[in-house]
Amino acid sequence: MNTDQLIQELSGSLAPVKRLASPGRRLGQWLAVSVPVLAAITAFFGFRPDLAQCLADNRFVIQNLTALVTGLTAAWAALASSVPGFKSRQLLVPLAPATLWLASAGEGCWAEWQASGWSNLESILHQKCLPEIVGSGLVPALVLMVLLRRGLALNPSLTAGLAALAAAATGSAALSLFHDGDTAWVTLTWHVGSAAGLSALASVFGSRLLTHPASSRPI
Amino acid sequence: MISDRAKHLEDSSRWGAWMQAAQDGDQTAYGRLLAELAPVARRMAARQLAASGVAEDVEDVVQEILLTLHGARHTYDPTRPFLPWFAAIVDHRVKDGLRHRRRHQGRETDIEQVPETFLSQAANTSATDRMDLGKAVAKLPAGQRQAVELLKIKEMSLTEASAVSGQSVPALKVAMHRALKTLKGLLGP
Repeated sequence: MNTDQLIQELSGSLAPVKRLASPGRRLGQWLAVSVPVLAAITAFFGFRPDLAQCLADNRFVIQNLTALVTGLTAAWAALASSVPGFKSRQLLVPLAPATLWLASAGEGCWAEWQASGWSNLESILHQKCLPEIVGSGLVPALVLMVLLRRGLALNPSLTAGLAALAAAATGSAALSLFHDGDTAWVTLTWHVGSAAGLSALASVFGSRLLTHPASSRPI
Repeated sequence: MISDRAKHLEDSSRWGAWMQAAQDGDQTAYGRLLAELAPVARRMAARQLAASGVAEDVEDVVQEILLTLHGARHTYDPTRPFLPWFAAIVDHRVKDGLRHRRRHQGRETDIEQVPETFLSQAANTSATDRMDLGKAVAKLPAGQRQAVELLKIKEMSLTEASAVSGQSVPALKVAMHRALKTLKGLLGP
């Protein structure tokens, strides 16, 4: 088949298509499903008893706010990266909140180390939040995957990594509302660390998670 | 220089409008768009392939670009410029083709002369023919092999094969055409 014949075939069999919504609009769709799910999970477990006290603590507020903003910006960047021709600087948007999240968690560890040395370090072994973060972030992750698969991720590793970061960071922020007793070390290793680890894992399997018939080699 | 930029903007705007019409099902606009894009894709692909020092069949790459564009036409946002969207598809398809070629290069051996037994009457029994054909089909790239298996071995219609493989009907036709060309090369004159 030569190229002219192919053009005739493609244009002759053309059917109307539904345009992909903008990344902002798809982010809205993601939130419309994810927020009620996370609210239901929080309602099921109940707010942590010391929530009012935590909300008066600047460090707690900054850590969870930066986690939430990291989640939202990473989700937007993932959706933007599923449209060919996106600007690569758009992908840097989650970098600032993610750095602040990491810095605030690190600062918490520093303060805790100054106050009580390494004594709280063993809390990492007792308080493993990975299953809770995965549980909280599971539905947002699945919804994001469905939305991303409607687009065309030309760099699926990057898109999947951003999507996993979005789900894990959002799950971590929601988790802090109903899960208590986390030390700064736990926040750094299990919250920030889980988000980074899940993001790296998703990047490895990106091409399998986000295969679109048009993105694979047709011939 | 300024006129080049103006021409790019004009082309991008015209192609964007045609793609928008194509998204709504306008076959004439789509035909015009693809006819204008094919030589542009050919130039862009040839430049990238030459820069990589690879003698790939440019026409194959152009066809893959058009098929990818067809499958991804719903992702074009008419409020945004057309050229960056199209250039990203061209770039992806060329680089993907180069990666694919590098992966397979180590497994291929050029044969200058077809073995003598291949031409002798005794070697051409039905059993060995089938065996050679089976081996040749197994050597085909995945997409071409799938087209042969679905369309020729399982005798599916193009529509059925399209449903099973997730490939469009034109993509299957191209794959089948190339599979026959490759098999001809593998099995000799």
